[in-house]
Amino acid sequence: MPRFLVRRVLGALVILLIISAVTFWLFYAVPRDPATMSCGKNCTPDMLAQIRHNLGIDHPIPVQYWEWLKGVFVGRDYAGFGHCNAPCLGYSFANRQPVLGTILDRLPLTLSLAFGSAVVFLVFGIGTGMMAAVKQGKWQDKVASSASLVASSMQIYFVGYLAMYLLVAKLDILDNPSYTPLTDDPVGWASGLMLPWLVLSLIWTANYTRMTRSQLVETLSEDYVRTARAKGLSRRNVFFRFAWRGAMGPIVTIFGIDLATLIGGAIITESVFSLQGVGRLALSSVDKSDLPMLLGVTVLSAGAIVFFNIIVDAVYALIDPRIRLA
Amino acid sequence: MSFSRRNFLIATGVAAAGTTVLSACGGSGGGSSSNDKVPSVSGAKTMNIPVGTKADSTGPAPEVPGAVKGGTIYSLDQFDMDHLDPAQIYVSTEGAITRPILRGLTGYKIDDKGGCTLIGDVATDAGTMKDGGKTWSFTIKDGIKWEDGADLSMDDVRHTFERLFASFVTEGPRYVQQWLVGGDKYKGPYSGKSLDSIEIDGKTITFHLTEARADFNYTLGMPGYGLVPKKHDTKEQYDKRPFALGPYKIGDRKIGKSLTYVRNEHWDPKTDAMRNAYPDKYLFQFGYETVASTDRYIADKGNDQYTMSIFNEVAPERTQQVLTNATLKKRVLTQVDTVTYYWPINMTRIKDVKVRQAINWAWPHQQLQTIRGGKATSELASTILSPVTPGYEHFDLYGVETKPGGDPAKAKALLKEAGKVGQKLVIAYQQSDNAVKQAVAIKNALEAAGFKVVNKQVDKTTFYTQIGKIDNGYDLFAAGWSPDWPNGYSVFFPCWSGKNIGDGRSNYAQLNDPTVNKAIDQASTIADTKAANKAWGAIDKQIMELAAVVPDYHSIRNWMYGSKVGNVVYDAGNTCVALCKLYVKK
Repeated sequence: MPRFLVRRVLGALVILLIISAVTFWLFYAVPRDPATMSCGKNCTPDMLAQIRHNLGIDHPIPVQYWEWLKGVFVGRDYAGFGHCNAPCLGYSFANRQPVLGTILDRLPLTLSLAFGSAVVFLVFGIGTGMMAAVKQGKWQDKVASSASLVASSMQIYFVGYLAMYLLVAKLDILDNPSYTPLTDDPVGWASGLMLPWLVLSLIWTANYTRMTRSQLVETLSEDYVRTARAKGLSRRNVFFRFAWRGAMGPIVTIFGIDLATLIGGAIITESVFSLQGVGRLALSSVDKSDLPMLLGVTVLSAGAIVFFNIIVDAVYALIDPRIRLA
Repeated sequence: MSFSRRNFLIATGVAAAGTTVLSACGGSGGGSSSNDKVPSVSGAKTMNIPVGTKADSTGPAPEVPGAVKGGTIYSLDQFDMDHLDPAQIYVSTEGAITRPILRGLTGYKIDDKGGCTLIGDVATDAGTMKDGGKTWSFTIKDGIKWEDGADLSMDDVRHTFERLFASFVTEGPRYVQQWLVGGDKYKGPYSGKSLDSIEIDGKTITFHLTEARADFNYTLGMPGYGLVPKKHDTKEQYDKRPFALGPYKIGDRKIGKSLTYVRNEHWDPKTDAMRNAYPDKYLFQFGYETVASTDRYIADKGNDQYTMSIFNEVAPERTQQVLTNATLKKRVLTQVDTVTYYWPINMTRIKDVKVRQAINWAWPHQQLQTIRGGKATSELASTILSPVTPGYEHFDLYGVETKPGGDPAKAKALLKEAGKVGQKLVIAYQQSDNAVKQAVAIKNALEAAGFKVVNKQVDKTTFYTQIGKIDNGYDLFAAGWSPDWPNGYSVFFPCWSGKNIGDGRSNYAQLNDPTVNKAIDQASTIADTKAANKAWGAIDKQIMELAAVVPDYHSIRNWMYGSKVGNVVYDAGNTCVALCKLYVKK
């Protein structure tokens, strides 16, 4: 296990390095000049030169990338801001705020949204999928399958606004979506995020229902499960000791990727519910051609995916002893 | 100014006269269509913003009838403010949000009839002009204190203007830097050097300018010239946490999420003729799309009853619903804008005036208005100046009012005279749903008139960079401008003077007509407001006769608010809701 983890972490660092370099290059491949966007109404060439110097973009691109990379590991000095301690992700082109600080400020909301909705869609998705698999062919299976098909066809921007109108404006059942830190007010935290959790998890619940059902139906027809049944084990025993573990592998894999994607930012959900998470930050940094912020969010999202992939691989071995890590 | 969000400064527009500023109060009965009660820009009366007297500049500000102290005003807006350092403020929303905390030498006093007067803010009056406008002096009032109780000193006032030359100040207005004698070489106060053209004598500050500026006191009314304390000047960091002189100070700030103002206990209302301070607190909240904020205003529940918006207007998707509902319309502040959206014609490529006139005749104004959402959101333009800007003169050289759908026959006849039937036009437009639809309508109309049109879609984040290049390769492109203060100088000089042709400059049409240049230079020196306005109106007509541009439309703005927000009126100085006039209804 330790050797596995070290190998994977080193691999992850290489991947993040490549992603950051590609993002850097892609940004400059598009003909946008952050200095011009920052420059005031009566812009002059001298002012543009000054802005480029202030932003640190008056060097060749490889030098700019090297400086950024150096800042991540050992910190760096900025013309207008002094020394930025490691890990330094730079300052926003748009509002001159520290990138790392801004991302960390938005992260709790994104984590709350991701983990909260994950709990909902895992519980309901896997639970419904299990029921559908056990009751295969019966009305429970048909209802669950049809409902999940309809739900997975929906879009958050449609369901979200509809839910806001019905549940908040008209029926006043739920609060307007908002974020209160969990440590400040747990009840406020939950009530403010309840609607986004329900909407976000609606589509994912449908997907996990279908996936769980499909995996369990396949596993339940495996020879070893039939053997266990033939040996007289109870249905519950057969299901949870044998079938369940065999079916969970792919689901765990997908869940790792899905959770990492959510942590990278549920852009549409955050936009629909006016939540200021990492997703909205990514969107605005693209809109404003804010390279440091864009880089920071990209590296965070990629890092989340890589990290959860490592976790998933480790968990996989726990679920399925046939998998060897070394 | 160009129209990206960052440049959405409509800093010193002129409010229409009281009878034509339509607020939500006293709305029509039910069943009327939105078109019946839409304020007409062309029907709005242009009001000159006069210079007030010393008495006008003396506080306190007149009480708002029925207003009570207390409560919290909330806001729902899409974007946070990128800058709070006054030296970096050029966007109207940043100017508006800082009015309760920042003060300058001069400012605009709103009266209860919707009118506006230029007065002294921290100055005892709106300034004394000498040498035909090359020297300006302002005397500072007594008793003005910062949020920490320290007196506003003359060092602070000097420092405010000297720091404008610092290298980190790149986004605010540049007028003072360009006009102060020695400003071309001065690098700011941080190396210990002062600027000699700023003189202090007792409580009087005097500015020596390189050119006569009869309207310099108006220029200083811009939010970009808010005062900064020398002792608490944190340079680049000041952008995050400016020091307050106004009735409020910053209580809390969560970048991108919220900004809270609490009372500044050291503010003396007797020194302030502009601001009231009724609410105990303001809580500005960011990140709300216009549809989301409009829906919340419609629902009007909980704290949303005490909420307004600085930036967010009624969402286009809800305009019909809101403006045709008498109850909802009562909670909408509708105001005509000072901005004119237009399409400059590249004079270096389209050199024949008859061709440019043909473009004007063929233009499908009415179709474009429909695409934008109809008469509720915009009014057709036939001039460069908005009808609510001083200097505006009504004229319609190309049939905008008589043939709003365009006159292709007339256009074709002009092309024939010029021998240019089939003239190719390359038109640049931004990537957006509306822009694409408008491009199609324009192409159809111009081709019906005998042009051959090539549409070029340009990425919106680089649009103004590209059309701002001398060799941009385009014949027409969408742009727009609004005055930085209420006269024609800040419209015509940056956009139509031959001195402003160059990469990144705003004379997109690259108009360089000697008679126009001379007229602009002369109008800039006229001290008498009425005479100056007459001159600007004449320049407008002169440029339109040259057909250097196709005026498109003036915006109509609709701000919705909660039912318990009182006295929602328009701040002509910042072209937004007047924050310092609001109160919380009990």
